[in-house]
Amino acid sequence: MEAVIYALMSEAVDPGLELLETQNRFVSDNLRRIFVQIYRIVGNVADAQDLTQEAFIKALQRQDQLKDEQKAAHWLSRIATNTAIDFLRRNGRVSYCELDAAPESHDESPEDILLRSEQRDYLEDGLRLLTARERAALMLRDVEGLPAEEVAQRMDCSKATVRSHIANARIKLRRYMEKRKP
Amino acid sequence: MTHPNQSILALYAGQDLGWFTRRRTEHHLSRCRECRGEVQAFASARDNLAALENLPAISWKPLSAEMKANIRLGLAAGECVRGARTPSLLASFVQFSNARAFAACASVMTLVAVGLFLQRPTPSAPAMAASQGSILRATASGIELNQGGETLSLLHVRTGDVTYSAGAQGSMRAGYVDSDTGNVTINNLYVQ
Repeated sequence: MEAVIYALMSEAVDPGLELLETQNRFVSDNLRRIFVQIYRIVGNVADAQDLTQEAFIKALQRQDQLKDEQKAAHWLSRIATNTAIDFLRRNGRVSYCELDAAPESHDESPEDILLRSEQRDYLEDGLRLLTARERAALMLRDVEGLPAEEVAQRMDCSKATVRSHIANARIKLRRYMEKRKP
Repeated sequence: MTHPNQSILALYAGQDLGWFTRRRTEHHLSRCRECRGEVQAFASARDNLAALENLPAISWKPLSAEMKANIRLGLAAGECVRGARTPSLLASFVQFSNARAFAACASVMTLVAVGLFLQRPTPSAPAMAASQGSILRATASGIELNQGGETLSLLHVRTGDVTYSAGAQGSMRAGYVDSDTGNVTINNLYVQ
């Protein structure tokens, strides 16, 4: 390819190759983790996909935060949690993936898939009783297994607040499960 | 006997209490069958949540590729919108009131300008175009590709506040925001 390129360079130039590589690596290293984290809060693949993209765009638009990799990953998790909580507040409900929305897995029989779907529907109804922050705290603590300190950091609040959210969520969920057995 | 409240028992079931409250609750539980049953109920409700650990059967590869592409596109659109909102250079200079810093900046700019002048390519553009074959350039109205005497022009709908960028591998991009609709347009032209 032979080309001479003239450009009005007065306004903007493409981000440098090094920056582009850093961004791509950052996305590749964290994409699955953030997707899973958001999916567990919103419970829906399509919404989790949109929110994961949104979280990464927010993070990468403030590139100065990416210098320390460990801090950046932690900071990204915080953005992801808050993005998911904001989404739940706006939409007010969790909608779990419909059975036909997920491609078939080769490891599971149709009966297994159906059973899992029913279990999800059952839990989905229970999770609808929780506020967005109660749901996020419960997911991070009881499903992801993070310690309360870590949950507090991700949710930008105190440990006492997280404990209060977790206690409320467990009480509501237990009452729901007692009333409605699967 | 005073029983711990439901929140304490719910937190105890997930081992989320501090040392002192945990010890006190343990002491109570050792004597109270009713509260032990409550804790057991919270623990089993918690166990039910394990079903959410499993992700649905999704094809990760195409999903991740799509997300990566959308993230890249979102960043490009954000860059474009930010470029359109950037205040003019003149306005920035008006705000820039520190005389010393201004003088230092002017000196550096003069030095850079002289350096660029001395290093500019000597052949004229038409001569280079004739010898190299392809010219890709930004004009006031759009991006223009000139190849073998034929010209392809990709015109902008709007001419103001267009952000241009050139790729090192022979591409040129123009991005702008329609102030009426807020639509972001990004044109990319590649030379092959």
